[in-house]
Amino acid sequence: MKQHLGRQSGVQNVEVSLRDGKVDVTPKEDGRIDPAQLLRATYDSGVSVAELDMTARGKIVKDASGNLALQAEPNQSFAIAPNELSKALEPLANSATQVTLRGQLYKKPDGKGNKKADASVTLKLLVLEIQKKE
Amino acid sequence: MTKKQLALLLLFVSPLVPQTQAEIKHIEMRVEGMT
Repeated sequence: MKQHLGRQSGVQNVEVSLRDGKVDVTPKEDGRIDPAQLLRATYDSGVSVAELDMTARGKIVKDASGNLALQAEPNQSFAIAPNELSKALEPLANSATQVTLRGQLYKKPDGKGNKKADASVTLKLLVLEIQKKE
Repeated sequence: MTKKQLALLLLFVSPLVPQTQAEIKHIEMRVEGMT
């Protein structure tokens, strides 16, 4: 799996901890890494992903429907799931303020389901921590 | 080095420096079924 993930575009380094079942992925400097692609690649290597957390930096934007999203260049956008922390981000919507967030982008649904279907779910960023505003 | 030389150096070097750091800084996955 390590080699399989390491071949994905935008991946600088992959660290696998067999004991904890943890996989740490360090992106390349250009930040061109696609979490959905990583999720698919992990499933393709025969391993089930229980949870995917991400730390990312970008601007907060609000769409016409009032939904918040983290706009992370280059050309990546992650819809933000509403919670208590996301409320604190609302005043920053469509401003030039850059924020660094740690959030949960994917969590395996409870119960048994189709593994392939899991890999194709819409990813939403559940904010766990606001690390920096600048 | 004079201020003018320093300013010129910065002017020519700055385009070589990436404009932004990686936007996605880190990804951590918890996986099941790994052997």
